[in-house]
Amino acid sequence: MNATFPSVAPAGARFEPGAGGVARIVIDRPTDTVNAIDPPLIAALSAAIAAARAAQPRGLVIASAKPDQFVGGADLAMLSGWSAASEIAMASRAMQAVLDDLARLPFPTVAAINGSALGGGYELALACDWRVAADAPSVRIGLPEVSLGLLPAAGGTQRLPRLVGVPRALDLVLNARRLSARRALRAGLVDEVVHPAALATAATDRAASIAKRKPAGGATAIERAATWIAPARAVALRRARAAVRRETGGHYPAPFKAIDAIAAGLAHGMARGLAMEAESFGELATSETARNLIALFVSGLRQRRAAFDGLPRAAPPREIAIVGAGLMGSGIAQAAAIGGAEVRLRDLDDAAVGRGLAAVRKLTTDAGRKGVVERREVPRVIARVTGTTDLSGFRRADLAIEAVFEELGLKQRVLADLEGAMADDAVIASNTSAIPIADIARGARRPERVVGMHFFSPVHRMALVEVVRPDAADPGAIARVVAAAQAMGKTAIVVRDGPGFYTTRIIGTMLGEAAALLGEGASIGGLDAAMTAFGWPIGPFALMDEVGLTVARHAGETVARSLGAPAGANPVQVLTDAGLTGKRGGEGFYRYAGREREPSARAAALLAAAGIGATPSAADPAALAERLTLLFVNAAAACLDDGMLRSPAEGDLGAVLGLGFPPFLGGPFRYADARRVWMRDRLLALADRHGPRYAPAASLMGEASFYR
Amino acid sequence: MQRAVIAGGQRTPFLRAGTGFADLDVLDLAKAATAETLARAELRPDGVDEVVYGNVSRPVAYHNLAREIVLALGLPATIPAASVGMACASACVAITTAADHIAVGTATSALAGGAESLSNVPITYTPKLARALVRASQAKSLPQKVASFADIRLADIAPVAPGIRETSTGLTMGESAERMAAINGIPRADQDRWALRSHTLAARGWDDGRLAAEVAPFHRDGRTIRDDGHVRRDSTLEKLSILRPVFDREHGSITAGNASPLTDGAATVLLLSEERARSDGRTGLVAIRSYAYAAVDPSGQLLIAPGYAIPIALARAGIALSDVGLIEMHEAFAAQVLSTFRVLEQNGAGTVNEDIVNVMGGSIALGHPFGATGARVITTLANEMRRRQVQFGLASVCAAGGNGAAIVLESLA
Repeated sequence: MNATFPSVAPAGARFEPGAGGVARIVIDRPTDTVNAIDPPLIAALSAAIAAARAAQPRGLVIASAKPDQFVGGADLAMLSGWSAASEIAMASRAMQAVLDDLARLPFPTVAAINGSALGGGYELALACDWRVAADAPSVRIGLPEVSLGLLPAAGGTQRLPRLVGVPRALDLVLNARRLSARRALRAGLVDEVVHPAALATAATDRAASIAKRKPAGGATAIERAATWIAPARAVALRRARAAVRRETGGHYPAPFKAIDAIAAGLAHGMARGLAMEAESFGELATSETARNLIALFVSGLRQRRAAFDGLPRAAPPREIAIVGAGLMGSGIAQAAAIGGAEVRLRDLDDAAVGRGLAAVRKLTTDAGRKGVVERREVPRVIARVTGTTDLSGFRRADLAIEAVFEELGLKQRVLADLEGAMADDAVIASNTSAIPIADIARGARRPERVVGMHFFSPVHRMALVEVVRPDAADPGAIARVVAAAQAMGKTAIVVRDGPGFYTTRIIGTMLGEAAALLGEGASIGGLDAAMTAFGWPIGPFALMDEVGLTVARHAGETVARSLGAPAGANPVQVLTDAGLTGKRGGEGFYRYAGREREPSARAAALLAAAGIGATPSAADPAALAERLTLLFVNAAAACLDDGMLRSPAEGDLGAVLGLGFPPFLGGPFRYADARRVWMRDRLLALADRHGPRYAPAASLMGEASFYR
Repeated sequence: MQRAVIAGGQRTPFLRAGTGFADLDVLDLAKAATAETLARAELRPDGVDEVVYGNVSRPVAYHNLAREIVLALGLPATIPAASVGMACASACVAITTAADHIAVGTATSALAGGAESLSNVPITYTPKLARALVRASQAKSLPQKVASFADIRLADIAPVAPGIRETSTGLTMGESAERMAAINGIPRADQDRWALRSHTLAARGWDDGRLAAEVAPFHRDGRTIRDDGHVRRDSTLEKLSILRPVFDREHGSITAGNASPLTDGAATVLLLSEERARSDGRTGLVAIRSYAYAAVDPSGQLLIAPGYAIPIALARAGIALSDVGLIEMHEAFAAQVLSTFRVLEQNGAGTVNEDIVNVMGGSIALGHPFGATGARVITTLANEMRRRQVQFGLASVCAAGGNGAAIVLESLA
């Protein structure tokens, strides 16, 4: 069956006849710690299945020899090495053929899922008659390909809806869900969950006792109807398409391709569905979107190590003290507690501490409901956070994180208190979005233990922590903060100290320019809409309202003082002077009523009175959105040039995870790499018309790509 | 032999049962007191060798409350934990057990204490119904299951609340205290005066911050409970004197005013070996110098055993009652405290200087969560010994069943 694929030496799977009539295929990719799917593995699987067919056992178990991993998805390095869509489609066809072969074996087959079974790995399990999973934390099951700009292409779009029904399959595939063993059991993705030590026995028993099975197409009559009855199915598919269109703004083709493959397979048979799957896979895998998403994913994985570049390795702190129990402080406390630390949360009075602890409880309870935290862990996570109005419990902490209001004097006072209360080798981190750490540490007794730890709001949803490394900082202190951020489940990037660091500097530059565009006559709503159409999650004015105009103004001024800003009256200043504070206060650039918002008439009047935007601009909002994005990219490149950033990968991760830079563009540096000449020319033209802030950074003037 | 020192102690506020902690589990209270003890003592959880904890009215769900504290707080799962019981002296047993382990070197640190939720006492079935339920759960078929209940009458179905009645005598605590008052001739007025003193001193302890220092604010749902719930600042002898006796309405003297209330709360103490405390750089060390348990026939004076335990503990410490500079005595009833003074005099231990007893009030004012009280009195005693620079302190707790505990603390140089 494997004849369609160019000949490679089979490797990574072996057939074992076994005793008692149950044979095994053991998957064990050589010279690799993971079972990723590549041509040698496909060939080896094919040979093993042929051997099983010839041996005619009572039943067959498919198992992995890797600890904590069943089989992962396609080898991402392999995908990036191929350039032709037809070549990738052929690999997909080869894997499909092998799994068809497996599904057609005349004896029962059982997948013994001992660890993560994602993408191709779960598709392998889907081709078996029975799936038994170990109840282990390392088990994650699903078809998350669309999160990489791909689709399941080894029968996943065909077998999953036939197993669990179309509505559930759409939810799992389109949301790229990765379920724990217990949740996978509830969703019908596996048939049985057993203790890891009992997995091999359970799988063998099942293989010896079950009969070949035919999937039902869902657990309920409604699910089965939506799977097998065409008009019902059409409703489910239509809803899914509408939801995807709403959420992706048309920048992500993969979910639509997945829906199409599901639809085609059920309407015209599995062969048609499989053909469509393979063809779409080839197209998607060679697209810029998938390449960028995959590159970001791989960067994220590598960053766990790369974050420690030039630093000693450090263990995550077990005891963390936090000052400030507000929105940020309580969010950080909760993340730290989920990461396993004991947390002492301090604020000035009972009311503030109580609110902070209540927030921790709510966030954790919600996380338990969503499956982010195991339900039994929820009370333990909550119990790990204790509150206090003094500094008791701080001396035992290895790390204190200060999350008080953004005011230099206040932060310096808190730092002095902390130095008095903590052990000499403790690290003190300041959560600030803009204030240089060296300024905060001025006058500190041990400035080498003072570090920046910039969290993003809301902490439980934002995956980035920007670790700020002042020149005076001890590398061990930086490493401890990186380890702490990683234990909280965050991606840590390490940047140099300076006003706004990396992220606030580049977003501040862009927001400042957006404000200046109002002076050129751009409309608030029009520019916001153009930016979201471009692929940003939120427009600049809505973002400033979210952050709060006081904070936006403060950050803007901190950055502007050092970098220079566009001339003219500052709209944020005009609004804050008049008492408009943004979303929390109910009104900023927009007026907020519940979940609704409308352009603020007051803001418009105030801006008009200040002479901002007197003549409406004729410029195309889409062109303005591009212009803002280019300025953002230019600012990022400048950060790399002046050593604020260590690497383009950290710059891309920071911009995407922290600031919402469109992921399908791969981050500012990949975006620049993909269109270097065009970008330089555009920036030069913009510099001519709008001033030197558009003049391309040195690294954008050169020929060399950021990624080599 | 290592001396065990009191390196810290925190308790929850004590609230009357059925009030602010009514919907909390005893484990919630125990967790709060224990987490705060660790934090305030600046000890990391991996520095704890064991947990010993007392609880009287035990929820069926917790076969071993001490172990549940370890697991629910996410302390290292490798910390062994044991639950102990001696009714109201349970926390004393927890503390002296842990101290013994430190003394013989099987532990260098221990969390010891106790907790009680008298809002949530386990309600049980009548023995007849309980046996039927067990039979039914073991029955193999439905008819067998049904047959299990054949003998059950309507009266068997009513749930049974646990009594505070002595099993051996059939008397309630209050009735036993009435006997003590009568035997020792403790007039009602003296009892009321002692109760008033308890409230007055407790209020003073709160006002000057000494009690606040050992009570961890309890945060829940954005609200914070800081204070004990029972301390009466408006109490007067006149108000106390008009209360009706509860247990013997005709001739009695025990009222709700001169008895301790049913209370929810928890208290935990951190014990360290002296060596470890010194190497940690801890100062102001107060060590457990000696202790004694004694017991009496419950049909006599149920709560008088401290009167016998105290002389033994003092003898073991090698000191006289007159050497003791501070005393914390659990106040189940004012009559019981005054009876104990009387008996100490009778058995030759000496006259108690009332001025050094319960200087921040006692259980009558502060409340009495059965399992927790022993840890409260030890914490208060150790803290106040440091403040007053007293060399020897004495704590005693009486308990149902006729048991009594006495512990002698000593300030170390």
